[in-house]
Amino acid sequence: MLIFESQREARTRTRQLLLAFALTVALLVLAVNGALALAWGLSWGFWSPVGGGLPRHFYAVNTGLTLVFVLGGWWLETARLAGGGVRLAEQMGARELRPTGDFDEQRFGNIVHEMAIAAGLKPPRAMVLARESAINAFATGWDADDAVIAVTRGALDHLSREELQGLVAHEFSHIREGDTRLNMRLIGMVFGLEMIYRFGQRIWDPDVRDRTSAAALLGLAIMAAGWLGWVAGHALQAAVSRQREYLADARAVQWTRSKDGLGGVLRKVLGARAHGETDRAIGSPLQHLLLVSTEGGSVAHWLDSHPTLEQRIRRIYGRPMGPLPLARGDAPAPPRTGSDTAAAAPGGWTLS
Amino acid sequence: MSMTTWVLLAVGLLVIFWAVGAYNRLVRLKNAIANAFGQIDVQLKRRYDLIPNLVEVARQYLAHESQTLEAVIAARNQAQKAEQAAAGNPLSAGALGALAGAEQLLGGAMGRLFAVAEAYPDLKADQTMRELSEELASTENRIGFARQAYNDHVLEFNDAAAQFPTLIVARLFNFVPQAMLASTTSDAERAPVKVSF
Repeated sequence: MLIFESQREARTRTRQLLLAFALTVALLVLAVNGALALAWGLSWGFWSPVGGGLPRHFYAVNTGLTLVFVLGGWWLETARLAGGGVRLAEQMGARELRPTGDFDEQRFGNIVHEMAIAAGLKPPRAMVLARESAINAFATGWDADDAVIAVTRGALDHLSREELQGLVAHEFSHIREGDTRLNMRLIGMVFGLEMIYRFGQRIWDPDVRDRTSAAALLGLAIMAAGWLGWVAGHALQAAVSRQREYLADARAVQWTRSKDGLGGVLRKVLGARAHGETDRAIGSPLQHLLLVSTEGGSVAHWLDSHPTLEQRIRRIYGRPMGPLPLARGDAPAPPRTGSDTAAAAPGGWTLS
Repeated sequence: MSMTTWVLLAVGLLVIFWAVGAYNRLVRLKNAIANAFGQIDVQLKRRYDLIPNLVEVARQYLAHESQTLEAVIAARNQAQKAEQAAAGNPLSAGALGALAGAEQLLGGAMGRLFAVAEAYPDLKADQTMRELSEELASTENRIGFARQAYNDHVLEFNDAAAQFPTLIVARLFNFVPQAMLASTTSDAERAPVKVSF
């Protein structure tokens, strides 16, 4: 009964999201046209003695190209995601769980089954980001049959059983409330909206021999207009995901009947960050999937895809709580060769 | 026929439609309880399969504690018998009560085994023992969550059967309220979960 309610709610949110996307694209088209007309005028038009009119079909071509970029990017990215949650998780570097022989992975697989019973869902596919040493996790998939929950190696290494349970419960809430489906749609949109910005950046940036092309000013104009798309993409992410994070946190506490589970996870992340351990950046179209975001705070608060860790911890405990060290309260950790984590290649995850 | 007859006929038909709907709903809710018990049953069976393996591994290290080990095996066999009886008749209060009692005993015996094992670091470090303990802990949790789901279904059924006007149909067709399963938070039952290897 409840699950149908949340599905209906998810459909309404999908419609609102599509509407917001359409509006943003319209605005972006206007902005690109305006910026390009200005740049054209500054570069050639105003100085020309013949009375610099714009070339023929100027606006039509601009509008067409903008739409091709944004809608094409959206369509391409969405088509790529048609492979489902597993494909996306694999692109992010996740692999299937190998429960035999690795105690931590066995435990994670077990916890996923436990929480599936608690949430009343079919157990999703469990995956591991084996080369990621920070604590993080994500859930994805178009529906319950296609759902994936992936955690980083760092989460397996540093979290106690209770904490891992809280983390998995949080991700289960995203699957159950239809957030993962909405997020899959959102990835394509954000990608499309960022296309214009990247295209402008491409023209503006000097080439390999450090020459700036004649069209650089046009590139700058495209970048400026495309920045609107970038902001809009992040605003959409923020609007869709921020409230859902609180809901998922609440669900995690409800299902595990423990505040220290998820609370401990967030406090450990806080502790790790206080020690200057930085997460590797994850492609910005994917930020809203994660348990804790790896970017944000830099532009503006309302663009963050997640509430701050402190806010989330305060909501869970009802009062502020300090960070925790990365020690695991339970099992004496087996000696690990560390080849997995040491092999982690530097550089960020990119989705292309 | 007169107007009054038509109206009476229409009202009678409506009442019958409603009664059929209410009856079907009660049957559906009752079946959901039986199904929820099935979920618990799967996990209980899993636990009864795991315990002998665990005892066999522990036996290699706990040669002098055979009494504790035998107590676990005896309690496990007792609980398995009660489980088989309850699985045959998942909606009988007597069978469920016997199962709850046997489970309580088994939980206590397991708790003592883990307490004894604390004194044997070799046993705690044993790879197989760690894995079996993890499986057992997970099974305990699954039983806990499945029990929660069972109780949710019982609550839904009992609410439906006790509310007017469905109450009338429930009384007519002898739908009796079902008993909830005991809380999962009793110490004896939770003991194995708390121990970590």
